[in-house]
Amino acid sequence: MIAVIGITLKGVFRDRVFQGIIAFAVLFLFIPSASTLSMRQVTELSITLSLSLISFILLLLSVFLGATSLWKDMERRYTFSVLSLPISRCSYLLGRFFGLALFLILSSTILGSVACLVIKVAAGLHPPDRPVVWSWLALAIVFATLKYILLVGVALLLSTVSTSFFLPIFGTICAFLASGITQQVYEYVNSPIAAEVVSPLLKPIVAVLYYLLPNLAGFDLKVNAIYGIAPNFAGLGITAVYFVAYTAILLGLSSLSFNRREMK
Amino acid sequence: MSAIEITELSKTFKGKRGAVVEALNGVSLTVGQGEVFGFLGPNGAGKSTTIKCLVGLIQPSSGNATIMGKAISAADARKTVGYLPENPAYYDYLSAEEYLHFVGRVFQMPEALIAQRTEEMLKLLELWDARKRQIRGFSKGMVQRVGVAQTLIHDPDVYILDEPMSGLDPIGRALVKDIILDLKKRGKCVFFSTHITDDVEKVCDRVGVINKGRLLVVESVENILQRGVEGYAVRVINKDGQGENLFVEKINLQSFIQQSIQHQQSIEKIEPRRKDMEAFFLEIVAQ
Repeated sequence: MIAVIGITLKGVFRDRVFQGIIAFAVLFLFIPSASTLSMRQVTELSITLSLSLISFILLLLSVFLGATSLWKDMERRYTFSVLSLPISRCSYLLGRFFGLALFLILSSTILGSVACLVIKVAAGLHPPDRPVVWSWLALAIVFATLKYILLVGVALLLSTVSTSFFLPIFGTICAFLASGITQQVYEYVNSPIAAEVVSPLLKPIVAVLYYLLPNLAGFDLKVNAIYGIAPNFAGLGITAVYFVAYTAILLGLSSLSFNRREMK
Repeated sequence: MSAIEITELSKTFKGKRGAVVEALNGVSLTVGQGEVFGFLGPNGAGKSTTIKCLVGLIQPSSGNATIMGKAISAADARKTVGYLPENPAYYDYLSAEEYLHFVGRVFQMPEALIAQRTEEMLKLLELWDARKRQIRGFSKGMVQRVGVAQTLIHDPDVYILDEPMSGLDPIGRALVKDIILDLKKRGKCVFFSTHITDDVEKVCDRVGVINKGRLLVVESVENILQRGVEGYAVRVINKDGQGENLFVEKINLQSFIQQSIQHQQSIEKIEPRRKDMEAFFLEIVAQ
């Protein structure tokens, strides 16, 4: 599996898609000047923009690299040579996943460091009313990374059942878009206000989707980082457990599906 | 213990509109250690399907097979196998050297041995000068050579080669033939599929012919060639010193030799005239 992780990392670093996406990091240079557009909350805006840019880059990386990694191997017939080696399909899949996860961790570490530098510059030029809590900022980046690692799991699962890249790419984007609102929709449908408006048939459907689709709302700690508010650690613990459980289920399903797949 | 043992292997694929395609139908076959086995068949006969079943790329619908005594369903069975796919493709962002290193690591070879074997294989396959170049810049023949190198790097007991000469120039083909003959000398089992009957004639001990998913015949190459002898081209020198070329039928050879001695003719050359492997193959497939 370690050998697969190694070649996954090499593959990503030599991939033009990665090089194109990482070019977005140039935008960090403009954050200090763009932040001055907010007259009173320059530091806060620099944190918002930095975290949003990190999120955007990680989203692109997780969708495109996660969704095309396995698909490309099958499409270009690399799987014929690799899966005929004494390596189980499960190890191969996990190697791919952990390689991509490691790459996301590396990327977010580098992007996070650049973001800290940018925020420091902004805070130095326009000292904020509330001091920047660097640990909450780091925590926000860590949870954003976990969110996108989970999304790689979604992309891999869709890759194992699809013969084209459409489903993995667009399916992952859809899952990401839905993941931010499932909690709100579920709460609304089950609220007394919705009782008169929402059809009773819709409730079980929403419940199924709520449990099926990833719920990534808990991974968003932007507000805590921007305003230096201590996060709810019990809630973070639940989110971490959710991340481990949901990712494990995704990888288990991916492995089952990939094991059944025939390399014709 | 046989190197490869296939028992009643069958594979059906679901085609479009629910059609069932029977790619393999009860194939049984045993290949011994130290044997070079040629697997012949026309396009779509089931050669690659058999091979893909053996290396775990597709699951057989029924039947089973073992490689060096281990069931093919386990990844462990492939530890003793070097497999060359048909029209191989390797991670094209890696160099040939990096790819061989990756394969060595998957086979859990020690780092020093990987480095040593990588160098040996790259030199043997004449890829040493191109070792640092990414595979994406390689010609088809060079990719095929990388494929041969990665089957050899861990010195396995069993080699499964799907069309190993495909895409190679005459020099490359001669090189691969030499490699196969060398493996045979070293007691390795080589199981390879091909369309080229001449290759089978030159390197194989036995040959199997498959068509429409059924194994039609398994025969030793020597027997086929012996059986195919139709007669002999003979050159005799008469008493007056003049040479004459004659064709003598197989059953008449002994009496012809005796008559020649009686007539004080000397025999300069006797060459068997026989049907070649291609004729044998066409005969079997046509049945």
